[in-house]
Amino acid sequence: MKRLSLAIVAVAAVTISLTGCTNAAPAVDPDAKPSLLFWVDTPRVPQAEAYQELMADEIDITIEVIAQADAQTKITLANRAGSGWPDIIFGTAADTALFLDPSNGFAADLTDVVSQEIFDGFGEGNSDCLFDGTYYCLKNDLANTVLWYNTVIFDELGLTVPTTMDEFAATALQLEGTGYVAGAVGDQGYYAGFLQSSECPLADVTAPNVVRIAPNDPKCTRVAELMQPLLDAGVVDSRSSFDAGFIADVAQQNKVAMTIGPSWFGDFVIRPAESWGVPAGQIAAANMPAWGSGDDDRSGAWGGGVFTVSSHSLYPQLAADAAVWMTTSDVMAQLETTPTFPAYGPANQLWEARISADPYYASNPYPAMAAGANKISQVDRPVRFAFVAQIGSTLQATINGGGSLEQALNDFAVSLQNLAPGSGYQVETE
Amino acid sequence: MFTPYLALLLAFGVWPIVVAAITSFEPSILNPGGGPLNYLVVLQDFRFLPALINVGIFLAMYVPAMLIVVALMSLLLDTVQGRWNLPLRLTYLVPASLTGATAVLVWYFLLEPTLSPYQDALAALGITQGTQIWQAQNLGWIFVLMAFFTGAGNWIVVQYGSLQSIPDDILEAARIDGANAVQIAWQIKLPLIKKYLVYMGILVFAAGLQVFVEPQLISASVYPGLAANWSLNQLAYTFAFQQNNLGGAAALSLMLLVVCVIAAVFVIFRTDFFDGIGVKRK
Repeated sequence: MKRLSLAIVAVAAVTISLTGCTNAAPAVDPDAKPSLLFWVDTPRVPQAEAYQELMADEIDITIEVIAQADAQTKITLANRAGSGWPDIIFGTAADTALFLDPSNGFAADLTDVVSQEIFDGFGEGNSDCLFDGTYYCLKNDLANTVLWYNTVIFDELGLTVPTTMDEFAATALQLEGTGYVAGAVGDQGYYAGFLQSSECPLADVTAPNVVRIAPNDPKCTRVAELMQPLLDAGVVDSRSSFDAGFIADVAQQNKVAMTIGPSWFGDFVIRPAESWGVPAGQIAAANMPAWGSGDDDRSGAWGGGVFTVSSHSLYPQLAADAAVWMTTSDVMAQLETTPTFPAYGPANQLWEARISADPYYASNPYPAMAAGANKISQVDRPVRFAFVAQIGSTLQATINGGGSLEQALNDFAVSLQNLAPGSGYQVETE
Repeated sequence: MFTPYLALLLAFGVWPIVVAAITSFEPSILNPGGGPLNYLVVLQDFRFLPALINVGIFLAMYVPAMLIVVALMSLLLDTVQGRWNLPLRLTYLVPASLTGATAVLVWYFLLEPTLSPYQDALAALGITQGTQIWQAQNLGWIFVLMAFFTGAGNWIVVQYGSLQSIPDDILEAARIDGANAVQIAWQIKLPLIKKYLVYMGILVFAAGLQVFVEPQLISASVYPGLAANWSLNQLAYTFAFQQNNLGGAAALSLMLLVVCVIAAVFVIFRTDFFDGIGVKRK
């Protein structure tokens, strides 16, 4: 018995010490069929399966489904293990910002493995992936903000569609006393639709590893000045667009006259019966209202995923080709299951054919989405610290709790200023 | 006979601690030189103190609530003998069959005024909106509720088991001496199961100190980020996976371990926990 136990201890100890030493990369056998590993979230599975089938004779493709929120965790674990990386991964541009840092090193430089023609085809659509002059990812879809409005309510109240933010505020104030609202601002929508479109510098990377977080910039203060009176008048809601109370009391009663929201709001928030459930034939999209004249007409973005290629891939070119196909192919744009607005120009045009013929919308929402696609603000950039999570714990929490918009922004900015140095950024506050 | 246990303890208890101790000296962006400075960096992080306060308040509510309610309910259960005892024990176990993750969802529905089956009760308290509930200052007691209901049922049944170990002749002697049910519970039963309650207190404290699932899941749902880095364990997770700072994560985890061990040793030696097995004699 005693010997057996000793043997168990010895085996356990040997096993443990061995698991630490399996880092050597296997050499590529030129005759073997290449294999690629994809890590994608559920909505991306159909397009990954289409590619798997297309390449079945040439490449063995394995698809593993991961939650988008787990991308950083899983890559960090693979880095730790020194093996197990995917060849391409779907995530956010903020993930890529972390992956390309030397302390992580997962993201591959795409300059030599993706053709210039592809980069040109994206236009501004791929700008999130451009870090200090080099592309490190390819954008799958855009989530630029537009003005969603209800044509039936606008007709009933005799409203005209606002084209500037001042007009948006004036139109919203006309809703006072009618029971209608101009959307809800107690979530990431306030950042994307208002602060980001106004180009308020909250993650403005002014030099490598230097970030400007300046809530006192006039482009920040003008947002609260415009929006606070609307909140006080009760014509915008302080809850989230996803809040169960807001959905039951306002959205499902069809009391949202207009709202600024990303391109996916129509199909995923306004339309589904279990969400806002607005009936067919009422909803239209208009261009994002402009804050000022000239190029002071940016949109924000809420979401939009990217494909990052592994620097550890045994088949760098095949991996890059896979990422290109996933983001640019006609198949991707035409799949019934492609849920969102493709970032790649030509794919985007194919997708247009589908959305513009959708009888749900009162008019074709595509022109408004397309108009804003190349105007997404580039002041705030993808950064290595948890920018979006901070929206929830500060900006959203303060607005939901009845605090002022100025206070909410200040809480948010201070938390970002505290957070950034931990990820190796120097912070500028003015 | 002790060796199989020792093997597992070494493999899955001691070795991970050694690895964590080595890892805790690794360099990071914040501390390129590595070394013991990692511990200081963690303590100085702007999220550390708020998380410590959150967890402290959580423990101050959670541990006494568990000890008092579990002791009380198991004593009550012990007085109900006969045909109702078994169904009652089963009933206590039902809420505990919800794991932490499921409990978060169940409590979200219970507390969200629009969806809750107790809408009227919440309305009577003046709560008609989810935003009145899901606020930073309420998170402590919400997480206590979630953790309490998943944990209490199990412990009630366990402590009922320890009450069963009390010899009948002691209780009979008390009854002959004229003690009523309350006196028996308070003066006979409770002192006799004290060491089991101490044991439970240590485990509950350790579990509470490491609270993670509840705030992490709430942060991933309707109010994204609401409880981000709310607890110390979440902060360690953030260090490891969002800041490429495994050294800091390991340092924080080891500090949590040290607190747990100190608390356990303190409680054990301040009570007669080891009495009767020859470790400490009065």
